[in-house]
Amino acid sequence: MALAQLETDAELVARTQAGDEHSFAELVRRHQAMVFRLALSILGREFVPEAEDVTQDVFVKVYGALPSFRGESELRSWIYRITFNQALNLKERVRFRAPHADESVLQDVASHAPGPERQLANKQRDRALAECMQTLPEVYQSALRLYYWLDTSVSQIALLLEVPENTAKSYLHRARQLLEGMLKQRGYSCD
Amino acid sequence: MTELDPNQSKIDGLLRRSMSSPVPDLPRDFDRQVLRRVRRRSTLLERHLRILLSGYGLLSVLVSAILMRSQGLDWITIAGMTLAPLVIIAVVRGAARASRPARANS
Repeated sequence: MALAQLETDAELVARTQAGDEHSFAELVRRHQAMVFRLALSILGREFVPEAEDVTQDVFVKVYGALPSFRGESELRSWIYRITFNQALNLKERVRFRAPHADESVLQDVASHAPGPERQLANKQRDRALAECMQTLPEVYQSALRLYYWLDTSVSQIALLLEVPENTAKSYLHRARQLLEGMLKQRGYSCD
Repeated sequence: MTELDPNQSKIDGLLRRSMSSPVPDLPRDFDRQVLRRVRRRSTLLERHLRILLSGYGLLSVLVSAILMRSQGLDWITIAGMTLAPLVIIAVVRGAARASRPARANS
């Protein structure tokens, strides 16, 4: 196990291609957290079990496709690309299905407003915010969830979304700008 | 984490507040779950491949036999010509198996 930690992804891929399952297990351990995070960021908070399924599907797919993986791109980027597409496909399929819990219900946990009126106002604004978020481009939504919910650094967001760091920053900036505008249009303030 | 535009501090605060729910984790044995699924999938694929190959083999033997018979060959010749490749495969596999321990011992 300690040896596996020192091995590069390329070495583990070569061993997996030669039939070593332990090397594949090490690859899964190495990348599972980021893959899950990316799936969560695309699907949203109401689809946690689905994000777990996507993570499993991604690794099963990776295992099936590893024999033809020539290492022309980095393994990590290849896995993230599969994850992004897999999660997006699932999102399309579940779009019209009722989620396990509404995103705004989870937001109530974080509400510390004093009176019931204020709480109701906050709840309505959070619901509006969640609705506005759904209308943003997928990469903006993903960047926002990674940054604000999953506490991911900008450099990691850039890695996951396969863009330069400055682009990840601009995704966040633009997403905030759009959200603020949409909330204002609906008559909500951000205070 | 990012240099925040001062104009965006309000929306930044709102997003922080509204998205501050717990971050879910994968189960501890997630890697083992994946391996189990991978194994199950390869066994299933192997079984399907075996069924497919067996079906193909039987069908080709049947078609060959009918064609050979239509050319006027007798059943003994047909059986011999059909079984000969199988005998060759068995002999080659046996020889390979016999040479493997010998190589391992050397």
